[in-house]
Amino acid sequence: MPTIKVTVNGESYEETVPERMLLSDFLREQLALTGTHIGCTYEGVCGACTIHLDGEAVKSCLMLAVQADGHAITTIEGLRGDELTLLQAAFKENHALQCGFCTPGILMNMAEFLEKNPNPTDEEIRHGLVGNLCRCTGYAHIVKAVREAAKSA
Amino acid sequence: MASKPIEDSADWLGTRLPRKEDLRLVTGGGKFLSDMVVPGMLHAVFVRSEHAHARIKGIDKSEAEAMPGVVAVYTGADTEHAFKSLDQPVLIPNLDAQYPKYHALAVGKVRYHGEPVAVVIARDKYTAEDAAELVDVDYEELPVVLDAEAALEDGATLVHEDATSNEMFAMTFTGGETPEEQAANDAEVEKIFASADVVVSERFRVHRTGVTPMEPRGVLCEWNDSDGLTAYITTQRPHIDRLAIVDVLDLPAEKVRVVAPRDMGGGFGIKAPFYRENIVIAYAAKDLGRPVRWVESRYEAQMNIGQERDQVNDMEVAATKDGELLAVRNRGVANNGVGCIGVYWGFVMPFLGAVELPNAYTWHRGDVKLRVASTNKASLTPSRAFGHFPTRFALERSIDMVAHKIGMEPCELRRKNLIPQLPYTSVTGEYYDSGDFIGVWDNLMAQIDLEAFRKEQAEARKEGRYLGIGFGCGVELSGVASELMVPMENQPGYGAASVRIEPRGKVFVFGGDAPSGQGHETTTAQAVASIFGIDPEDVVVTTGDTTTTPFGSGSIGARNGSYYVSAVAKACEELKDKITRILAHDFEIEAHKQHFDFKNGEIVYQGDPTKRKGFRDAVERIIMWPINLPEGDVGGLETTAFFEADKPMICFNADCCIVEVNAETGAFHIKRWVTSEDVGNVINPNIVDGQMHGAIVQGLSNTVFEEYIYDEQGQQMSADFEHYKIATAADVPDFEVTYAPTPCPHTPLGTRGIGEGRPSSIPGALTNAVCDALLPFGIEITELPMRPHNIWRKIRESGKA
Repeated sequence: MPTIKVTVNGESYEETVPERMLLSDFLREQLALTGTHIGCTYEGVCGACTIHLDGEAVKSCLMLAVQADGHAITTIEGLRGDELTLLQAAFKENHALQCGFCTPGILMNMAEFLEKNPNPTDEEIRHGLVGNLCRCTGYAHIVKAVREAAKSA
Repeated sequence: MASKPIEDSADWLGTRLPRKEDLRLVTGGGKFLSDMVVPGMLHAVFVRSEHAHARIKGIDKSEAEAMPGVVAVYTGADTEHAFKSLDQPVLIPNLDAQYPKYHALAVGKVRYHGEPVAVVIARDKYTAEDAAELVDVDYEELPVVLDAEAALEDGATLVHEDATSNEMFAMTFTGGETPEEQAANDAEVEKIFASADVVVSERFRVHRTGVTPMEPRGVLCEWNDSDGLTAYITTQRPHIDRLAIVDVLDLPAEKVRVVAPRDMGGGFGIKAPFYRENIVIAYAAKDLGRPVRWVESRYEAQMNIGQERDQVNDMEVAATKDGELLAVRNRGVANNGVGCIGVYWGFVMPFLGAVELPNAYTWHRGDVKLRVASTNKASLTPSRAFGHFPTRFALERSIDMVAHKIGMEPCELRRKNLIPQLPYTSVTGEYYDSGDFIGVWDNLMAQIDLEAFRKEQAEARKEGRYLGIGFGCGVELSGVASELMVPMENQPGYGAASVRIEPRGKVFVFGGDAPSGQGHETTTAQAVASIFGIDPEDVVVTTGDTTTTPFGSGSIGARNGSYYVSAVAKACEELKDKITRILAHDFEIEAHKQHFDFKNGEIVYQGDPTKRKGFRDAVERIIMWPINLPEGDVGGLETTAFFEADKPMICFNADCCIVEVNAETGAFHIKRWVTSEDVGNVINPNIVDGQMHGAIVQGLSNTVFEEYIYDEQGQQMSADFEHYKIATAADVPDFEVTYAPTPCPHTPLGTRGIGEGRPSSIPGALTNAVCDALLPFGIEITELPMRPHNIWRKIRESGKA
């Protein structure tokens, strides 16, 4: 089995993994970072497994762990520092989550989205969210929270 | 809005308090079932039927068993005598039906694509998946029956060989209890139709669709010989699951504990039935003496759960030319699939859908009949708008068709026929306890300038742009009283809660229901904080553990705001009685509960505000220093209360949407969506708004996008999210949700349970808007899903394109 070196949430890991292990499974099962969720058939549709790979939002169920060798990963557990990010706080304030299962992926996606587009229109936010499925909220409060986070930045 | 300061503690009810659940959920700290790991845990993967209907001639599991890492492989033949079949009394409603006998793992034959045939238990998930591929099942294919009406024909292939026919359930909902009374009623209805000015008669089809919580199902079971079984199940009703496990596995009742994880990734009904996988995993854990976990894949979920609706309704409506609705006649045929799910058996949903058919209108009479057919599809599973999505679509469409025939505004026709005063009992016998339908309707209309819209619509038509306005409304159950719950599901309807105050003045609440995102921790804390005048931060809510919580029938049917919170309030009031009794004794005054204010962390005697005590001090005195008490009192502050409503309670909503349809392509765009809601007294407006948004989008997504598709062999073709399209953020509009609430007179806080039935008015409102836009083409939509190409075809067929 190959050994990979990755930095996850600022911590260095040297881990042996089966070649076929998905990155999402590696994070959840080998590193016990269970905030990254699996909501679809590893088909990249639901977006609950979204993480940052070298700062880029990617769906961790569409990658193998070995492909992350030499890269830096941030998961939902590493999104905040001492305080919640403005985005996380805005989700809480605006009731942008119900069951919370899709939320980590949405936060990771939108964190990157706001970095690239700090002043989005609602239409841009909605299109930015198409890679994340949410079944509870009807999206309205999510859009509002992203907008509020952008405004307060 | 930030948390309110403690000075406002009297106003916790109605506050947009950010949720207590959210801190862990926005930081990756939620603990969902698939996040739970116990030492030595094994992984289960099910082998599922590749055919919709086939005899199992044999299963060769030797290769799978030989794979390194595989611990066990069980088949139906292995387990047939190890535990009972799942048709146990605790899982069977008090409704007369042909209940199929079935085992957790298929025995003899498979009856739908995806049915569990065997299970592989291995040390890791990947090995279990590989080994499952090696289980060789020898099938002899049988003819499949997929269409409900074909299934009901004489000589149709039987889905369940022990049944006399595929008619699993049939019922007449109108006219009385006896066949004679019903026949007399039918004759009266026929008279109304024979002499009515206007009759609309149409066949309405609603496809197979439902709900897909982002977290599928899962089970983790641990066994030890002294404590027995602990089963963590993604379930909305742990207490029912516990009884089912006890009965099917024949275990001593004290040896089974079921826990619904604190965090569950949505339910919307599908986590309410009792599923056969629970039994298999529990049995495996006991048999092996090792913990076993099964986490359902999305592929499995799409084959097994979340499928509902799937109904044909032949509906007729009789009315006068002035727009008075006279009678409704409906012949429904529901496609139940195999019906092998505990508690619901599939048909309980269409059963309730027929009960709820009359909606908010004053029919003189009704004739409502339903037949439910077993087919070789997955069983219908409960899905938000439980059972009545198809009947509501048919009825709300029929009303617009009446309006079109007599040239009346559909919204006026609705208002004219809304039940003017409650309580009211519908023609199907459903009791509507309270509310103000007209008030809700008028509030909706106040948000819209109909006259201006009609002008804009006329102008737009001149330019070849087609705007339309559509309406719909829905009476929804607000929890289910025992009166209906016992016959319907063989379970109680009461709400139950234990409230324990600890010496430092913190309050612990224990509820037997199991939420999956509805925010019970927050709303419960707000209710408790409001009653005791303390901070919601000082309230801790525990749900879903059968060992520590009182019996509850589960988080189903909008029970939280009606039954559960009412039980919490009742328990708090009982404790308040004791606290104030002892306080009056200590102050040496003649006073009762009503003479004290609980506010800002203090208890103040109204007659003399110098007589006051901190909440913490007051409760600590009773718990820790129970001496010098009033005669007959003992120390301690903990109680369990049950809340039952004598009659079922309801909530009510109305929708209006405005669309623009492209008559060249059939594509449509929702320009505006406005609602008016009677949700009773609101505990947390954020949460109620969120429930409405989510419900409306589920309704839209069901109406337009989602569809479970089977091919002609009964193969499930939509078993992933590539093929089962769910609305994304870019597919749906913003909503203008407005409120016209009336406090519920039957609950202690005036609250109503909300959110469950809410999607039901959506298909009607949306399709009515599209038909209104396309009135120049004379198009009436009678089938769902409503997709652009279907609209385009209808426009072409109208000959007016």
